[in-house]
Amino acid sequence: MREKIRASRSFGRRRFITLGASGLAALSLPRAVRAQAARSGELVAGLSERMLTLDPANHYSISATSVHRHVFDPLVDVTNDSKFVPALAESWRAVNNLTWRFNLRRNVSFHDGTPFNADSAVFTIRRVRDNTKLIKSFVYQDIESVEKDGDYAVVVTSKRPFGSLPAHLSMLGMLPASAGRNEDAFFQKPVGTGPFRFTSWTHGDNIVLAANPSYWKPGIPKVEKVTFRFVPELSTRAAALRAGEIHVIDRVTPDLVETLKGSRGVKVFDVPAVEAQRWIFQLAKEPVKDQRLRQAISLAIDRNVIIKDLLLGYGRPVDSPVPPGLVGHTTLPLKPYDPEKARQILKQAGYANVTLDFVLMKDLYPKQLEITQAVAAMLGEVGIKVNIKNLEIATAREMRSAGTYDMFFSGWAHMPHDPDWYFGQWFTRAGSEKLTRYNNPRVEQLIAEGRVPDPKVRQAKYEELERILWDEEPEIWPYYSVAIYGVSDRLRNFEPRGDYYVLLSDVGIA
Amino acid sequence: MRAYVLRRLAQSALTLLGVSLLVFVVLRVLPGDPAKMLLPDGAPQSAVDELNRQLGLHEPLPVQYAIFIRSVVRGDFGQSFQYRAPALRVVTERIAATAELALAALVLTVAVGVSLGILAAVRRGTRYDYASTVLAVLGQSLPNFWLGIMLILLFGVALRWLPTSGFEGWRHVVLPAVTLAAFPTALVARLTRSSMLEILGRDFVRTGRAKGLAERAVVLRHALRNAAVPVLTVLGLQIGTLLGGAVITESVFAWPGMGKLVVDAIYFRDFPVVQTVLIFSATVFVVINLLVDLLYTVIDPRIRYS
Amino acid sequence: MSARPAARATARPRPGRLSPPALVGGLLLALVVLASLFAPLLVSSDPVKPSFSRRLAPPWGLGGSVAHPVGTDNLGRDILARMLHGGRISLALAAISVVIAGAVGIVVGLVAGSGGERVDAFFMRLADVQLALPVIMLAIAIVAVVGTSPAALVGVLALSGWVLYARTVRANVLTIRRLEYVEAAYTLGASDLRIIVRHILPNTLAPILVIGSSQFATMVLLESGLSFLGMGIQAPRPSWGLMLAEGRDYLSNAWWLATAPGIMISLVVLGANLLGDGLRDLLDPGLG
Repeated sequence: MREKIRASRSFGRRRFITLGASGLAALSLPRAVRAQAARSGELVAGLSERMLTLDPANHYSISATSVHRHVFDPLVDVTNDSKFVPALAESWRAVNNLTWRFNLRRNVSFHDGTPFNADSAVFTIRRVRDNTKLIKSFVYQDIESVEKDGDYAVVVTSKRPFGSLPAHLSMLGMLPASAGRNEDAFFQKPVGTGPFRFTSWTHGDNIVLAANPSYWKPGIPKVEKVTFRFVPELSTRAAALRAGEIHVIDRVTPDLVETLKGSRGVKVFDVPAVEAQRWIFQLAKEPVKDQRLRQAISLAIDRNVIIKDLLLGYGRPVDSPVPPGLVGHTTLPLKPYDPEKARQILKQAGYANVTLDFVLMKDLYPKQLEITQAVAAMLGEVGIKVNIKNLEIATAREMRSAGTYDMFFSGWAHMPHDPDWYFGQWFTRAGSEKLTRYNNPRVEQLIAEGRVPDPKVRQAKYEELERILWDEEPEIWPYYSVAIYGVSDRLRNFEPRGDYYVLLSDVGIA
Repeated sequence: MRAYVLRRLAQSALTLLGVSLLVFVVLRVLPGDPAKMLLPDGAPQSAVDELNRQLGLHEPLPVQYAIFIRSVVRGDFGQSFQYRAPALRVVTERIAATAELALAALVLTVAVGVSLGILAAVRRGTRYDYASTVLAVLGQSLPNFWLGIMLILLFGVALRWLPTSGFEGWRHVVLPAVTLAAFPTALVARLTRSSMLEILGRDFVRTGRAKGLAERAVVLRHALRNAAVPVLTVLGLQIGTLLGGAVITESVFAWPGMGKLVVDAIYFRDFPVVQTVLIFSATVFVVINLLVDLLYTVIDPRIRYS
Repeated sequence: MSARPAARATARPRPGRLSPPALVGGLLLALVVLASLFAPLLVSSDPVKPSFSRRLAPPWGLGGSVAHPVGTDNLGRDILARMLHGGRISLALAAISVVIAGAVGIVVGLVAGSGGERVDAFFMRLADVQLALPVIMLAIAIVAVVGTSPAALVGVLALSGWVLYARTVRANVLTIRRLEYVEAAYTLGASDLRIIVRHILPNTLAPILVIGSSQFATMVLLESGLSFLGMGIQAPRPSWGLMLAEGRDYLSNAWWLATAPGIMISLVVLGANLLGDGLRDLLDPGLG
C-alpha cells in the first residue's frame, strides 16, 4: 500500500508531534501491509555541528555524514560495530590486490523515479576523483579506472592496493548520473535513493526531510518527516530536549548525564566511540624529540583518574592506537602510571627544568581544557612545567604545521572506519611532514604492506606496526571516548552509535 | 545643509571602500588558511595547496582585491568557502532573522531604557531611583550567555511558557530579544537618567517651572529633547552591537542571525562571507550614524552643520 | 537657590559632598579591590591546583561545606579563591583598558568637536571604519602579531572602547561651543585651549564619568568574551572571564561556577556606577 506524500514545503514552521490516525488504524492490518503503512510522526534531532553542504563528496564532517545518509545511500553501509554490510552494493570482493568488484542492487530508484544502476556508481566515483575542488577528492586519487560491467556491476582498479576502499565508499552517497549536467542546480534540490527526500535547508540552521514512500528496504522509514536542527550550545540543546522540542541530541558531556536522567521524558544512552583521543608530540623539536622525555611524560599521566574523575567513567583505557572494532585493533599492555619512575628518568636524562607548550584547538572537544589542566598539574608533580595555549582552530593549525608546539591535543575519530588513513597521514614521512615529522622506515613499509584488501594480512601488519608505536610513544593515547546521547523516551528503536552518526531511518516515535 | 549631506554621503562611500580594503587585507594576513579549515585534519599538503589555488588565494593581494572589487560592482560577492554557495545568498538568508531580533531588542531598549531613566531622574533619591539603578547594574553586568541560558531554563524547561530556541514564530524572539536588550537597556537607562538630571537642574528649566508650566510639560518638552543627544549617540553605536555583536545571544538561542554567521566565518576563514557581512553591516552602520547626526540638528537646534 | 514647589518629593544631594549611595558604591568597590589585592591572605586554598575528588561541590548552605563557601569548580578548585585571585587580573586589566580608552577617546572627541569640519570628518569616519571590524577579528589579528598576552588583551579592550568616549565628548563639544557664553569667550579672544579647559571640559566631565563607570563593566565583560577566544589570560590562571567561560557548560547542573564571577562583576559594576553618579553630582555645574 503506497501513501501519497503531500507535496508540502516546509515554511520553517514546526508542526507539533501528532499521533497519526493511520498508525492506529494500521495496527489492525495484516503484518506485511502494516509494516509499510505504519509510518507516522515527525522526528527532530539536535546536532552540535553545523552541516555545510549537501554534496556527499564535499565534506569530512560527522554531522553532514549523518544527514546525508538519510537522503543518499552509499554502496556500503557500516554497522555500529564497524562491520561493513551491503547497501546499494549487494556484494563486493577484491578480485586482486588492485581491483575491487561491486555487484549492485536492482530495483532501486532515485527520488525522481530514475533507476539506480552502474552508470550512477561510475559517475559518482569518477566525479570525486576528477573534481579536485571536492574535499574528498584527494582520498580517491589512487583510483586508476572505474568501469561498469553490465548495468549492475562496477569494477574499480587502483594504482596501489586500496584495501580501505569499501570503508571510504561507506561515506560516499550515490548520485544520479544526471547530476553532472548542472551540479549547482542539482544540489539546490538534491535527489538520492535514500529513505528520505530533501525538502528544505536553511544554511547553518536546519534541514527538513520527508519520507520516501518507495524506499527499497521494507518498513523504512518509520516516520513522515525528519528535521535536523543545528544547535551549537550544549545547554540549549539539552534544554530543548528536556522541553520536548527535540527528540535526540548528540555530544552530551558526562556532567550533564545526571541532569538529563532526572528529567521527565528523557533517557540517556552511551556507547563506546570509535575514537581514540590523541596528544601528539612535535618530534622534530627539542626536548620532546627525546623518546625518554616522552616516556616520562607518559608515565606521569594518570589516565585512570582522567577517566574516572573527569570523564565520570565515560571513557575506556587504551590498549592499542586503533580502537576496538576496526581492523588492526589489538591488545597491548596498558600504559602504567608511575610518577616515581618518571622522575627517575628525567633525572637520569638530565631534564631538570623543562617547560612545554601544550596547544589546544578551541572548543573542539568538550572538557578538553579541563583535561589539559589536569595533565598540566600531573606533569607539574614530576617537575615539568606546562604552558597551555587554547587557540582558535585556524591559528592552532598553523602552529601545528609550523611545528612550534611541544604537545598538541588532536584526537582522531575514525571516519571512515578504517585505520589506513590514520596511519598514512601521521606515520609516513610524506604524510607527517607538516604535522609531527614522524619518520620510521619500517613503520612506513608496514603501512604500505597493510593497504592490501586481505583483512588477515592487514591485521598482521598493523599489529606489528602498533607494537613499534607503543614503544616509541610518538603520541599519547589517554583514553577511548564514549559517545553520549540524550533521547526522548517517545523514540522507538534508536541505536546510539559509536561513530557519532545520528541515524533515524528505522526510528519510530510514539 | 544640503551640501553637508552630500559631503557626508561622499565620505560614506569612501568609508565603505576603506572598510572593504581593511577587511580584505586583515583577513588575508590572519594566520591559518581556508583550505586547511575545509579539508580534514589528515589531508596532505598537496591537497591543501590545490584547494587554495582553486579558491583563488595564490594570486598576489592587489590582484585579488581588484578581482573582488570588480565582482562586487557586478553584484557578485564570491562563493562562500564553507557552503560553496553564493556568499550574498548565504548572507541574505540571515537578514530576516537578524532584523527581527535587532528590532525587537531596539524597541525594548528604547521603551524600557528611556522610561526607567526618566523615572529615576524625576523621582531621584527615592526607592524608584535605587531600584532602577540596581536593574541597570544587573542588565549591564550579567553575562548575556548566563542570562540567556537561565531564561531558557526558567521559561523554556521549567515553566514551558516559551520555546527554548530556534527561529520560527513570534514567541521565539521573546527570550533572545530580552537577553540581547539587557545591556543596551541598562546603558540607555543610566544615560537618560544622568542627562535628564543635568537638564532638570538648568536655568531654563527652572524658569519654565517658575512660570507655572505643568511639571510633566517641563519634563517632556524641554528636558527630554536635550537629554536625547547622548542617548542617541549610544543608540547609534548599539545598532552595531545589535547587528554584529549578537553572536553570543544567537549561539545560545540557535538564532540564525548574521552575528554568528560572521564569527563562524572568521573562524573558518570563509573570506567571501566575512567580506559580505562586514560590508553590509558597515553600510547599515554608516547610514544609521548619518541619520543620527542629522537627528541631532532636529533635536537640538544649537547644533548646526555648515 | 531659587524657591522650589513644595510638592517636590525628591531629595537632592548637597553640593560639595558625595551622596550616601555614592559612598556605598565607593565602599563596595574598595572592598572588592582590597579583597582581590589581599587574596593570598584571605583564602588559603590554591586557586590553580586541581583536586579531582572535590569536583563541583556546591556552595555552603546548598549542600556544601564551609571549607569551600562558594563551592568548587570543574577541577575541584575553590571558587572563592579563584574569584579573589582572578579579581586582581580582571580588575587590573579593566582599569588599565578604561584609562587608555578614555584618554584616547577624550582627546579624539575634543579635537574632533572643536577642530573644524575636516578634522571632525576624518576622526568620525576613522571610527566608523574601525567599528565595522568585529572585535573578534581585531582580537585574532592582534594576537597573531603580539601573541597571547595581557598586553594584547588590553590593546583589544582599549580599541573597542575609545569610540564611545570620542563620540559623546564630540557631541557635547558641538553643543557647548554654540552656547552664548562660550561664543562670547571666543570673541573676547580666548584661545582654543583655554576654551576647552575652562568651558568645555568641565561640561563633558559628567557624561564621561557615567560612561567611564559603564565602560569598566564593559571591559570586564569584554574580557570574558575574549577569554572564549583564548586570548590573553590562559588557563589555569584564573580570571573572571575565564571562570565565566569555564562555567558556561555547567549552567544546568552546577550553576555556581558561572554565577560567582557574575556576582563579582555585578558588585563591581554597581559600585562603579554609584560612585560615578556621585562624582557627577559632585562636579555638576548645574547645581552651583
